[in-house]
Order: sequence, then C-alpha cells, then structure tokens
Amino acid sequence: MAENSKIKLTFNGKEVAAPAGVSVLRAAEINDIFIPTLCYHKDLSIYGGCRVCIVEIDGMRGYPLSCSTIAADGMVVITDNAAIKEIRTELVQLLMSEHPSSCLICGESVECRQFMKTVRKSGVASGCRYCPNDDQCEFQDVVEHLEIKKVNYPVIYRGHEAEREDPFFDRDYNICILCGRCIRMCQEMRGTGVLAFNYRGPKVRVGTAFGRDHIDSGCEFCGACISVCPTGTLADKVSKWDGIPDGQITGTCPYCAIGCQLEIWHKDGSFSKALPSNDPEVNDGQACLKGRFCMSEVSHHFDRARKPFAIVNNYWKEQTWDEAIAKASDALKDLKPGEFSMLISPDLTNESLYTAQKFTRLVMNTNSIDSTARLDLGGGLPFWAGLFQNQITIQSIKKSSKILAIGLDTRFNFSIVGVEMRKARNNGAEFVSINSRISNVAKYAHSWIRPQPAMEGKVLRELIKALDGNKVTKATLKNLLQDDGKSFDEAVNLLKGYDDLTVIFGPRIFKYSDTSDLTTTLLDLSNRKNVRVIPLYYGTNTRGAMDLGSFPELFPGPISINDKKGIKKIESSWKTNLPTDGGLTIDQIISGEKKPKVLYLVGAVPFFERPDCDFIISQDIFEPDFKVDLHLPAASFLETSGTLVNMEGRVQESVRVEELPDSVMYGRARPDWWIFSEIARKIGVKGFEYKNSAEILDEISEIADGFPKSGMITRELDTFTKTAKIPVQSPVSNDIKKKGKFLLIMQPGGYTYRGIDIRSKVEGLQILNPEMGFFINSEDADSLGVKQGDEIIVKANGVTGKAPVQSGTEIPPGTIYLYVPQSYGGLKDCRELQDLYNLKVNPCYAEVSKVGI
Amino acid sequence: MSKSKLEKRRKAAITEWQKLDKNKKPVIIFGTGTCGTAAGALHTMKKVKCILADLKVDADISEVGCIGPCYLEPLMDVKLPGKPRISFSNVNESKAEKILKKFFVDDEIPKLGLVGHFGENSAFNGEVPRFFDHPMLKPQVRLVLRNCGIIDPAKIDHYLARDGYLALEQVLSMRWEDVLEIIKQSGLRGRGGAGFPTWMKWNFCRQAEGDQRYMICNADEGDPGAFMNRSLIEGDPHAVLEGLVIAAYTIGASKAYIYIRAEYPLAIKRLQNAIEQMKELNLVGENILGSGFNLEIVIKEGAGAFVCGEETALIASIEGQRGMPRTRPPFPAQSGLWGKPTIINNVETLGTLANIIRGGTDWYTGFGTEACKGTKTFSLVGRVRRTGLIEVPMGTTLREIIFDIGGGLFKEFKAVQTGGPSGGCLSEEFLDTPIDYENLAKAGSIMGSGGIIVLDRDTCVVDLAKYFLNFTQQESCGKCVPCRVGTRHLVSILEKITRGDGEMEDLEKLEHLGESIKRSSLCGLGATAPNPVLSTLKYFRSEYLSHIRDKRCSAAVCRELVEFRIIPGKCTGCQACVRVCPTEAITGPRSEPHNLDESKCIKCRACYEICKFDAIAGDAIVIVSGDESISN
Repeated sequence: MAENSKIKLTFNGKEVAAPAGVSVLRAAEINDIFIPTLCYHKDLSIYGGCRVCIVEIDGMRGYPLSCSTIAADGMVVITDNAAIKEIRTELVQLLMSEHPSSCLICGESVECRQFMKTVRKSGVASGCRYCPNDDQCEFQDVVEHLEIKKVNYPVIYRGHEAEREDPFFDRDYNICILCGRCIRMCQEMRGTGVLAFNYRGPKVRVGTAFGRDHIDSGCEFCGACISVCPTGTLADKVSKWDGIPDGQITGTCPYCAIGCQLEIWHKDGSFSKALPSNDPEVNDGQACLKGRFCMSEVSHHFDRARKPFAIVNNYWKEQTWDEAIAKASDALKDLKPGEFSMLISPDLTNESLYTAQKFTRLVMNTNSIDSTARLDLGGGLPFWAGLFQNQITIQSIKKSSKILAIGLDTRFNFSIVGVEMRKARNNGAEFVSINSRISNVAKYAHSWIRPQPAMEGKVLRELIKALDGNKVTKATLKNLLQDDGKSFDEAVNLLKGYDDLTVIFGPRIFKYSDTSDLTTTLLDLSNRKNVRVIPLYYGTNTRGAMDLGSFPELFPGPISINDKKGIKKIESSWKTNLPTDGGLTIDQIISGEKKPKVLYLVGAVPFFERPDCDFIISQDIFEPDFKVDLHLPAASFLETSGTLVNMEGRVQESVRVEELPDSVMYGRARPDWWIFSEIARKIGVKGFEYKNSAEILDEISEIADGFPKSGMITRELDTFTKTAKIPVQSPVSNDIKKKGKFLLIMQPGGYTYRGIDIRSKVEGLQILNPEMGFFINSEDADSLGVKQGDEIIVKANGVTGKAPVQSGTEIPPGTIYLYVPQSYGGLKDCRELQDLYNLKVNPCYAEVSKVGI
Repeated sequence: MSKSKLEKRRKAAITEWQKLDKNKKPVIIFGTGTCGTAAGALHTMKKVKCILADLKVDADISEVGCIGPCYLEPLMDVKLPGKPRISFSNVNESKAEKILKKFFVDDEIPKLGLVGHFGENSAFNGEVPRFFDHPMLKPQVRLVLRNCGIIDPAKIDHYLARDGYLALEQVLSMRWEDVLEIIKQSGLRGRGGAGFPTWMKWNFCRQAEGDQRYMICNADEGDPGAFMNRSLIEGDPHAVLEGLVIAAYTIGASKAYIYIRAEYPLAIKRLQNAIEQMKELNLVGENILGSGFNLEIVIKEGAGAFVCGEETALIASIEGQRGMPRTRPPFPAQSGLWGKPTIINNVETLGTLANIIRGGTDWYTGFGTEACKGTKTFSLVGRVRRTGLIEVPMGTTLREIIFDIGGGLFKEFKAVQTGGPSGGCLSEEFLDTPIDYENLAKAGSIMGSGGIIVLDRDTCVVDLAKYFLNFTQQESCGKCVPCRVGTRHLVSILEKITRGDGEMEDLEKLEHLGESIKRSSLCGLGATAPNPVLSTLKYFRSEYLSHIRDKRCSAAVCRELVEFRIIPGKCTGCQACVRVCPTEAITGPRSEPHNLDESKCIKCRACYEICKFDAIAGDAIVIVSGDESISN
C-alpha cells in the first residue's frame, strides 16, 4: 500500500479519513477523537500495557485495544459507551490504588488549583503540591475524562525513596504508573537502553541494571524519558516547579554545530525549559544534555555580567551605555593597523559575526579579526574549507548502510549523531569505530579498531587503502594498533565493497599536531561519490564564522584574501576600500609574538592572565577572570535573535525568548551587533545603521552565498552556505623533546560557550565531572601511588602543569590524557594547566609525579 | 550416503537391543530421572555397586528415565540372564542389599518391594505380577511415554532400536503439504494447554511471508506440581527432538530453539547429549539425511520466570529482551522471533508427532474423543495415594485418573485442581467429566499443560486460592495493569478472608475483580490468573462463607481461625506438650490435665503433633475452628 493512501473509517457514527497502516488509536488522534490512553505514545512502539484504550469494533470479539489494532478501511469503531467506560474505570481505579491520588480525586482540587499559585515543594496552606506535574498530567486527564471520584481498592504505597542524586532530573517512582514509555524511549529511540523494568510482580519498577545510578549506567542525560512521562515521576530539577508554561517558541540550540531545534518554553517572560522539537530535518525529537538542561543555568546565572563596567580612576565602575560606548570609541579611534586586534567566538550569531568583521575592516581598517574557532579547527582552515564544499545531512546517517566513526564519543556531546548512528545500526548498517580510547560508540559498533594514540589518521589511511583493494601488511599495522590487527581485518570485512559509506569523525583526533594523514585521507574520501564525510567540531557557528569572514584570510561570501574579484565585489557593496594587511592571528597573540595596543575580546577568553596590551575591551555574557579596561555586557542566546549556520551549512534561526526591560535585576545586556554598530556610529563610520538583526541578514544575503533573506528562512536544506577554498599551507614542524615515559595526549574539551566553560556554571555538569584534570590508566596510577582526585605534576616539552587526576582501566597504559578547553572563562582552577594547554606539540612525552614528592 | 549410515547404525542398534534381552550378565537398572534422583536413586546405585562387589556378582548397571509411578521411587529393576526385568519399589540402601542377597545368594525372587516384571505374563509362571498390570499403570495408554523408563535416554541406539527416527526419514521423503495433511487428519491439538489445532498454526506460519522461519520447543514448564515435560525430555529426549525436526521441516524452519528452564539441568544435559548424537548421524545440521533440508538446534536456557512460558514472552526472552508478553496480533506464526514467522510447540506436542507419522492417523485417532484425539500426559500429585507421571487417552474421566490410577485418597476427596495456577478447582460433581479441552473449560478450569493436584478435606480452598494467586501475582511481569495490580488486590482480599477479617462484600469484589482481570489482561497469565478464585467461589462458596460469617476454617488451615484445646478427659498430664511449647502457653503438673493459655499460644502445632504421634495420651489436643472440633 502506498504510504500516502488514505482509508476511511467510522468513529462513533462519524466517518473520518486516516492514512493507511496506522493504528485505530492514531487514526482517532489524527482526527481529534479522544481515546484515553496512558502507555501509548505516537513516537514509540506499541505496548498495550495500560489497557485503557479499549474500543468496540464491529466484527471483532470483545474489546480490542485501539493502540494495537491496525485501522482498516470501512472499520466501524465505538470509542465510548457504558460498558467501555466501566472497564476503563475499573482499570484506572486499579492504577489509582498504586498512585497517590489526592491530586486526582480530592474534592477541593478544582478550587484549590484556582487559589494555589505559590510555588512550593511541601504542602502549604494554599494547597498541596507534591507532584511537579500537577495540572499537566496525562493521568489526571484520563481520570477526569472518566469522572472517577473514588477508588474502590485499598491504597498501595510503594515506599520508594525519591531519587535525586543524579544531575539534571529527579525521579520519584512512587507515582510511576509503569507505562514503560521512558524505557521504550531510552531503548528504541535513543538506543541507549539505560532504563529497563526491574523485578517481577508487585515489585516491578523502572530502573537501571543492578540499581546503579544513572551516571554509572551510561545515561546520556538527554532527558527524552522526561518528555514522554505521563506523570510527574520524572522531572527536571531546574524547571520542575515552574507550573504550566505560558507558551513556546521553536529555536536553535546555541551549544553546538548540530543546531538542534528546540521548543523553548517560557513562563512570565522568562525561560522555563527547552525540549527537543520534532524537527524532521535535524534532531528529530531528540536533544543532548547541553540543549535540554544547560540553558537556564548559563543565561540565568547569578554571575552574569549584565551591565557595562569600566575602569574609572582605578575603580571598576558601572557605566551607562552612552558612557561605555564613548569609552570604547575613545580607545579605538585613531589606531593604526597592527595596533588593534579582535578575537571573536564562533558561538555568536551570523549577524553579530558579520557586523564584527565589518567593524574591524571598515572602522578599524584592518583584517585583524580572528576567531577562537581556529583553535578547534585542527588540520588548518584550508582542510575544513575543503570539507565544507560538499553537502552533507545529519538525517542521511540513519539511511546509510556502512558507518565508520573516528575519534567519536557521543555520550554528552553530539549525542544526536549517536542516536542516528544507532538507528542506522538497527536498520542493519555495518558499524566500525576507530578510537584509541574507549567511547560509548564502541558499545554499539560491530568492530572497534584501537589505534595507538595519535595514530588514528594513519590507521584510517591504511583502512581506506585496504578497502580500495590494496594489500596492507601486518608489519605496517603493528606499530599503529594497540591490538593484533584482528579488529582491523574485521572492519575491512564489514566495510568492503561499500556503496554508501558515512564517515563521521569527532574532534578528539584533531588536536594532534600532525594531522596530515587525517586531512589528506578525509579530503580524499569527502570527494568520493559514494562517501559522505560528516565532521563534528566544537564551535556553534564555526561554519558561519568561516563563511562570513571572521578570519583574516576570509571575507564574507565564499571569498578568500587572494580572491581579488570577490573583494572588489564587497568593496562595491560596502562602498569603500578594504584593508589589505594580513591581520593578526590568535596564535600570534596567545604566544605573545604580536602585541596589539588594543585587544577587543568578543566572547573569546583564550587567556588565564591579562595579555600585555594597553587597553582590553571584553564583550561577553560573563566577565573574564582577569582585569579588563572595559566590559560590554552581551545579550545571551535567550535575549537576542539571529541566525546560526550548522555543520550542514543550514541557516537556522536563534530566537529571542526573553524580552525583559532594562532594570537592576535584568540588567542592560545588548546584542553584539548592536554594540559594534553603536561604537562605529560614535566613531563616525557609515554602514552601521542597523535597527534589528533582520536588516543585517538581508545585507548578508546580498553578499554571501546560501544565506537567505530575513523571513525567507526555511527548514528544508535547499541550499547551503558556501565556504571559500583556501590554498593549503605547508605544516609547521615542531620541536619535540622526547623526555619522560608517559605519552601526554591533549584532546579538545567540549563545554565551551563563548568565553566560558559552561561546566563552571552548570551544577549538573560539575556532578558529571567530565573532562576535568588528567586521566591515566589505573595501573599507572597505582604505580605512581596516586588515588582518584590526587594532584599530579606533568612535565612535558619544558613546561609544567598541575591538576587532579582521574584513573580508569579504559585509558591505555602509559598514556595521560588532558582536555583543552577553547575558552578559559570560569576555569580558575585550571590556571596551572595553562602552559600545557598552549603546548604546540601533541602528543608528547611527559614526566609525571605526585604532588608533594 | 548418510541415510545408509543411519540404516547401518539402526541395524546394529537393533541387534544390540535384542542382545540386551538375551543378556549373559545380570543387569541392574535404576530410574535416575530427577524424581528418582530426588528419592535417592543415586545413593542406592552407589551402594549397589559395592554390594555387587561384595557378593562377587558381575553385573551391568544401567540408567533409565522416569517410568511413571513416582511414589515408588527409587525404582530398581533386576534383570537376570534370559529373564525379563523385575521392578522393585522404594529401594533404599538397606533394601537394595536385602533384595540383591535374596537374588544372588538365596537364588530366589524377593518379595520385598516387588512391583512386577516386564514382558510377557508367562515369564515367571504367574509367580510374579506383570509390571504393567499394576493398578496405576494398567489403565494407561503410553504413546508419548512409550520409551520412558524403558530405554537409556543417553543412548541414541536404544531409541533407534525402538523405531526411532523412522518417522523423520519418512517425513523427509514427503512434501511438507502431505505432512501437514497427516497432522490435520490426526486431529492433534497443542498440548501446551490451549489446544489450538497444531496443523492450523503450522499452516499460518507456512503461509506467512518471510525468508526465514523459526521453530521453537517450549520446555519452560513452570507450573507448581507439573513435571510431564521434564520427565519426557529426561526419559526420551530423542522423541522430542525427532518431533522438533519434523515440525521444522513442515513449517520450513532452518533454525530451531529449545527454550528450557535452567532449573532442569538433567533435561538440558540429556538434550545436549542427544543433539550431539544427532549431529553424528546427520539427523540435524546441513542437508539432513541427504534431503536438502537444513536445521540448526539451539538450546536456550530460561531464567525461571513463569511468564516466559507464554509464547510472546518466550520469544522476547530468546531475543535477549525482558520476558514480557506483547500484544497479539500479530501472532508469532506471522511475526515472531526477530519478527519472522515462528511456531512454538509444547514438548508433548512434539513428542507425539513421530508416533502419529509412524502409527498412522487411523491408529492415532483411535484414541481419545470426537473433539480431542490421542492421549495426554498428566502429573498426578497432591493428596492422592499413587502420585506420578501418567498418560491416558483424552476423554478419561477425573474419577478414573484419581481413583483408579491414583488409587484414591487417604482422606475424603474434596477437590481437584487442573491446569496449575491458571486452572480451576473442581468439585466432586465433575469427577465423571471426560477430560478434554472443552469440558474442562466449561467447568471453569483449563487443561493447561497437565498438572492434576488432588485435594482432600485437609485442604482449605480459600488458602489454596490464595496460594495460587500469590504465585501468579509474584510471577506477573508487571506489564499490564489488571494482572499486575488486580491480582495483588485479589491476594489482599483473600488474605483478609483467611485472617478472619472478611466481609460479605469481599466475595462480590473478588468476583467482580476476577472477571475484569480475565477480560482485560494482556496475556494468558493474567487472563487465567483469577481461575482458582473464581472456580472455588463457584464450587466451594460455602467454605468462603464459613470463613467470613462463622470465622471458621473447616480444614483447620487458616491460622487466625483456629484454636488449640486440651481435652481434659483425654490428657494424662504426660508433659510432652509442655516441653515442646515454645511460648510456655501450656502449663500443669505431671499426671494432671494441662492448661493451655490461648493468649500465649502462637498456633505452631508443636503440641498437637507431639500429642498425636508421640504422647502417651494421644489426641488429647485438638484444633478447633468456629466452636467445632475438626481434627483427629
């Protein structure tokens, strides 16, 4: 039967149409006919546990379940009558006997709700409020629908202790009705299988294997289980007592380049919670812990810098915007090229990034704008520019028949891609992982190749060689792999003869100083017809930053500094001449090689200490940890609107949720583009007369390919943004000192947002404690005599770092891992790692010793 | 090639088997199924080896499976050269010594524990009764159990010698349609309990679209008091396996699973051993006997969840999921294991197949009733004199089973529970009902897989219903609401009644809730769980009423409803009860009637037992319920 063919059936005497192949319950749901149910969910498999959705169907015996009966043409269905109601009532009463039911049948409940607006956890005079889901509960709806006023059975209270130890969400299995939705979500949609039913008979409950906590059970904290819970059993910690939200807007998640669409719920003008949107193009109803749980704590953090401040007579003083803009323009005007540099985060919107580079080039008359994204783009800009030439989509992953994942862990970052890969695997795809360390991907992969640390690129090269039909000798592999090569052979068998290969690589492998094998192999693959290379990198709008010229060598539109014709086009559009200098790069500034007089940090904090400059302007949502001369408070993702380019090159909307008036409490933060424009106007440069971000997008769409006009943004990926090709530079060779018996491997950290590391603001992430300090093998830890959490000193290539250590058997022996964040805001504790963070060689040999010896 | 190899082997096996009959050395045979082992057969066997050495008798020792009369275990058979086997019952170590001495020293046939001999009546000139003339065995018809207790289950040769795998050879030369037709003609219905026509289920599966089909043998026998499947596998594993291959061939399955409880280690061992032997003879594997048919057999051990006997839960369990049933349709025959068409047949159904093929449908349909053909095995347990594994034609009455085969009860008959915890409790009026699927269902019970639990007047039916409901409640998977929560409330109401706190409206509640659980449960476990309550309410309502109204338990089982009394006229003051009373509730000087302080009594029965069996007075302590003495 064709997918779009329709059938006709009769519900309670009314004929309606429904797509063929759906269940009776879904057919009713589509036609707005209410059939009470508790365990059915349209996105999940049929369960048939609650039995409440029974109906009568002509020609069928008894009372079939509408959820598990497929609707057929001409079916005559009765959804409600006295007999059906009686059975349903009986069933729901049984459930109510297991579920604390004062919220369901209390005689005062209607009046109570009217007068009860206080948000409290414990019962107070204005009414009881022990379940966060009161009034938003599907169980309540069903009970109300059936008009049940009393329970004929004695109450059974399970007496489980509420579980609040894990981060981000609480669980109270006393009010669970065992509908199994969370379990199906976790197993079927997420493919993680953390949740399951435990025990039998009256002891049945939802839980993890062996009753471990969620952290140890491999939970990704995506919160998908909460979204489908019909009761208040599962509730997110931050917003659980918010009550019924006022409304919702769909927008793009600000935290990574996947660009998940989120339903952002707000209450009383303020952000409440974000749920993944059922967007079929990108995230398909799923999110990761960052998008699901980390927005409120970052944007609403008490530490937020919400007002302009400046050093006035050696005091850190609050400024009005007029004063602050005047201060900035005083500091910036009359600077020569080379005296000014702007460092900018790739997490800003397109509009702000565009205005920033226009500001630098027009007002400051220099190309000295560089993005911290450069620190993440291992292999160099030319490589990434090359990758971005080809169209890729996230939704294509699940359709591919062979998957090769390299250096990828999708537990907390990029978990959407993890979900899609598992979908592909469940659809029958062969799945190979290349990773020098264990990752959650290894659990699902059919074969896991374990290269020696930093040999991922060479192993990939050999693997592709083998797939191309060349012989790869054992001797070649011997020095590249941690095992005997069996997994390599397995992988070759799994992937050979591919006609549809998806290669997904994560940022882990791009922090190495030598990435030449990786870049050449991946570029080669990305240009093959039957291969799609999907890059996962940190930096929300990195692609936007490249396409809109946030680098000295790139200009908006697919135009590089060598593209004279392209530059002419921009000059005619901007009606001015563009600067021709090479600009200062972030590397030159961090290393101290170049010292601009004025440094303008826009959401970029790649220093622990104040760099040597005359004047530093910081423009961010938090103040940096070192002294600056002027701080301009930027609006957060909730307070401004704009667009972002995701990894597919898709332009997506970032929506403004909070429009709160300037006040002592809410502060006076402003969008980045507004601040640039104000300073430019103050200095007296034309071309910055923007009233809103939409006007900027319209200007961008004139110049840059693939960017739509405002109001023309569609969800379909008709066109993608274009990146200019950049000629490949020869790699810089580094001086490696081979001293020490440990191999120090640095990996990029995944929790940077603008100038801060969000782990410093989000309590849940601190509990999860990912990527903090050094990681070494347990046996190595024993031989060094260090315990979990002890501080160690690592000496490598002439520099020293000190931090606590975590040990685990999953770390290869003889190696020591360190995650390097891209911005250091909020990471005061990591100050002593600064020199290691800035090391140019990776991996390198290191000496390790315990603190105090 | 392989066919001729099998032929050769069979010939050799037959010669071997006949040789066994004309043995030169004495053979001592033990029933070492789980029942025999539990009764101590292995200890006896060990001892016998020593005795034989002492007596300097050169004899072979052989092991067989359970032959049926479990109450006679351990059974030891002695086969003298040229004579048939003679069976002795309840042979413990000392008894074995006496029997063997009688044989080999005194050269006489001992009378001690003698049950009977195998073979023709003329063998011992009528001095020794025939084994199969034993009142427990005589009324039985042994088709499925024909080899149990006769052959050594560890030897494929024994099975081959007794026409084993002839049926398979025949089937492999036939078209699957013709095999299906034979099964259709035989009228075979699923022996797992529901009685669905086997051919029809097979046909659904065969007609279902799919490149891969699966055959599953359901050996997850979990009912309390049922052991038919275990005994059959332990006693004659090849019969089940031959049926499995026949079934797989007919439905076109290339992979078969045997889902068996891990609590059946011996049965699992027997199956593993048997499958290895089959592999040697190409009775399983690639191109079976040159027919082009391939079959792989996998043993999957279950972890002891009762619900995994339900077919969709069983499938989930094999798939590595939690054993939870799922909604039907789709039925497993259309979409089962890994979403492929799958047939699940009970051990006994499979054990019957080879008989039907070999014997022909006319012969097979000669047994049983119009609606139900063939025979059925039952495990006969409870308060009956002769317990064990039996096989009777369909249509045999409960009276024949309980009173003829089972030899009646020690005390007055009260009820019989068929079908295990899912079945119903039937009263005396149903004793003459011929057993088949329909009649039992009509009476409010089920055939189930075949447990028959006989109850006498010492059983309280309310307590029995509570026991079974507690079992199903604990074994509910928790998926559907009526089964998970409903059974829990049934149990709590029954507990309330047995505690003496019952109210009249509780009976209505039980009926109402029971009916609604039956009506709305997801799988068979829930749909049949209320049967013990509903059937006892129907046939033994007066007992519920006396619990509620008179606070009286006529069987003196419900602890809260009984009291212990000392009859002063009978008590001699021997102080035996004073010594055993753990709470010092009984006091009194020697030689004077004692006092029992009810406020201290915890009703542990210690005084009652000692007075009944040990004390000088005897029966001076009685259990009273509702002002009426009921025990003696």
